[in-house]
Amino acid sequence: MQKLLVCYKWVLDEQDIKITGDLSLDTSKAKYKISDYDKNAIEAGALLAEQHGVAVEALTFGNAAVKQSLKDALSRGLDKVFWIGDAAAEQADAFVTANVLAAAIKKAGQFALILCGEGSADAYSQQTASRLAVLLGIPAITFVQQLSITDGKVTAIRKLGDCTEAVTVTGPAVISVLPEINKPRIPGLKQVMGAAKKPAAEWKLNDLGLAAGDLTPKVRKLSVQGYVMDRKKVIFKEADQADNVAKLVASLAQEGLC
Amino acid sequence: MPGIWIYSEDSAVARQLLTAGLELKTSMNQAVGVLTPNSEDAQSFVAAGADKVYVVRGSNPWPESYAGAVADILGREEAAVVLAGGTLRGKDLAAKVAAAMQAGLVTDAATITYANGNIETSRLIYGGLAVCTEAVALPAFVTIPPRTFAEAPAQGNGAGEVVTVEAANEDERISVTNVCPIVRQGTDIAGASRVVCVGRGLNKQEDLSLAAALAAAVGAEIGCTRGISEDYHWLPNDRYIGISGQKVKPELYIGMGISGQVQHVVGVRDAKVIVAIDTNEKSLLFEAADYGIVGDLYEVVPLLTKALQK
Ligand SMILES: Cc1cc2nc3c(=O)[nH]c(=O)nc-3n(C[C@H](O)[C@H](O)[C@H](O)COP(=O)(O)OP(=O)(O)OC[C@H]3O[C@@H](n4cnc5c(N)ncnc54)[C@H](O)[C@@H]3O)c2cc1C
Repeated sequence: MQKLLVCYKWVLDEQDIKITGDLSLDTSKAKYKISDYDKNAIEAGALLAEQHGVAVEALTFGNAAVKQSLKDALSRGLDKVFWIGDAAAEQADAFVTANVLAAAIKKAGQFALILCGEGSADAYSQQTASRLAVLLGIPAITFVQQLSITDGKVTAIRKLGDCTEAVTVTGPAVISVLPEINKPRIPGLKQVMGAAKKPAAEWKLNDLGLAAGDLTPKVRKLSVQGYVMDRKKVIFKEADQADNVAKLVASLAQEGLC
Repeated sequence: MPGIWIYSEDSAVARQLLTAGLELKTSMNQAVGVLTPNSEDAQSFVAAGADKVYVVRGSNPWPESYAGAVADILGREEAAVVLAGGTLRGKDLAAKVAAAMQAGLVTDAATITYANGNIETSRLIYGGLAVCTEAVALPAFVTIPPRTFAEAPAQGNGAGEVVTVEAANEDERISVTNVCPIVRQGTDIAGASRVVCVGRGLNKQEDLSLAAALAAAVGAEIGCTRGISEDYHWLPNDRYIGISGQKVKPELYIGMGISGQVQHVVGVRDAKVIVAIDTNEKSLLFEAADYGIVGDLYEVVPLLTKALQK
C-alpha cells in the first residue's frame, strides 16, 4: 500500500478571540492551534498507517505562523510534514486553498488516501476534500464516521444527517472525517521530543507552478463582526436558592412559560 | 441561459431555494432554473416559478454522482449564480461542481443579495463567534441551510419548460451499499418546543433523572452538550446541541452545568427564552441567557422542578 497524506489547517483559537465594543474581533491574545477537526484526520491517518505499516505524511498551507505547527503535528504520529507558509493564505478562499493543496499533493508523490477534517474550526467551509478530489481526478468520500482498508479497498461509513451509508472505493481517494471517528491522541513527552527529529519540508508558493488566477480568491471578505446576543441577562445569585427559584419561576410566568 | 440556477437532491429544499432565487431574479433581472434528479417534482418547480427545469437522469442513484453532469449543464448554460441546498450531500456536490467550474462557493449563507456585480452573503465563522460578510465573483456558488427560506408557493400559471438530460454518472471505482436511515430515539429535539439541556456539570449518568424530572415538569425534551454524548455516551449523539450537533429553536431552553462556549451556544441562539443554571458565575451561558441562577444544579434543579410542577 502507498503512503497516506493528511491535510491540516493552522487556525486561531477562537476561545481567545474577544469581541470589542465596536463588534470588531480582537485576536491579539489568540494563539494558533491545529484545527480541531483536522486532529481527527491526523489521528485517522496515524491509526491506518500503524495498522498497515505505511508512512503517513501531512501537508499544510498557512501564513508564516504555520511553521509553529510542525512540532505539534509531528508529535501526533505523522512521519513528515510538507508546509507552505505564505501571506496569501490570509486571503485564500476554498478555491485558492484547494488549488495550492492539489498542486502540492501532485509534487509530494502518490498517496493511497488523502485525509481531511470535515471543515476547519475557523471558516468551516467544508469544501476542501470535495474540491481536492475534483482537482486530483479521484473520488471524494466525505463526512466519514468509520474507515478501514482491506486488500487495497477503502470502506467508509458516511453519516449524512438522516442516514448512514457504506462506500467502498478502489484506488486513491480523498476522505473527510467527522469528529466522532476517533479521539485524537494527546502527545506525551516522548512523542514531542521525537517530533523534533522528524523531517519537515518547506515549499514556496512560487514553486508549485500555479498561475496568478489560481491564487486569486473568488470569495472576498467584506467585513467581520462579532455576534452579540441580545438577551435580558437577569441573573439571580442570592445565597438562598429557594428565593432564586421563586424569582425565576415568577419571571417565567411573566414570559407566559408556566 | 445565464441566470440563477438551483440544485438540491431534496425537492422541498429546492423549493425553499426558489424563494431566494426568485428574489435574485428581480434584483438581477435574470431567469431562474432548477436542476433536479427527481423527475416527479419537475412540475412543482415550474408551478413555483422556475423558468426552466432540467431533470438530470442517471442510472446511478447515488446523489453525489451527479456532480459531473450538473457541472456540464451549468457550464453550458453559463450560470451566473448557483444556489445549492446545504444538506451534507448538497455541500459535497456543490464543492465538486464549483471546483470543476473554477468558481467561488460560500457555505451555509444566512443571507444572500446581489450588489455591485457580485453576490453578497453573510455567514457565521469561528464556531458562531462572528458574522462574516463576503462578496463572491460570478459565477457564484452558495449553499443555503435547509429551512432558511420558506418554500416558494405554487402560483398555478407556470410556463417554464422541462428538459430531461441523461447523465453518465456511473463510476466503477465507487460502490455504495447499506444505506440506513438513522432511527432516532424519542422525538427529534430540533423541533422541540422546550428543551432541558445538561452539560458536564452533571456528575454521573444516573443524575440524568434530575433533568428528566425537570423536563417532565415543563414538558421538555432532554438535550446535552457534546461531551455528554460523544465522550460519556450518556445520551445518543442526536441529542447534543451546537455547531456540530442539533440546532434548536424552542420557546424555552434551560441549560444546567454548561460552560456556554460558542460552539454549544450557537445551537440555541434561536431559542425564545434561555435559562442558565451554573455554579460558576463566569459561565458564558449567563452571557447568553435571559434568566439565570448561580448555584449548584443538585440544589437548584429539584427546587425548580417542584416549583414548576405546581
Ligand atoms: C470544533 C469544535 C466543535 C464543537 N462543537 C460542539 C457542539 O456542537 N456542541 C457542544 O456542546 N460542544 C461543542 N464543542 C465543545 C465546546 O467547545 C465545549 O467544550 C463544550 O460545549 C463544553 O461542554 P460543557 O459545557 O458540558 O462542559 P464544561 O465546559 O466542562 O462545563 C461544565 C460546566 O458545569 C458547571 N458545573 C460543574 N458542576 C456544577 C454543579 N454541581 N452545578 C452547576 N454547574 C456545575 C461548571 O461551572 C461549568 O460551567 C466543540 C468544540 C470544538 C473545538
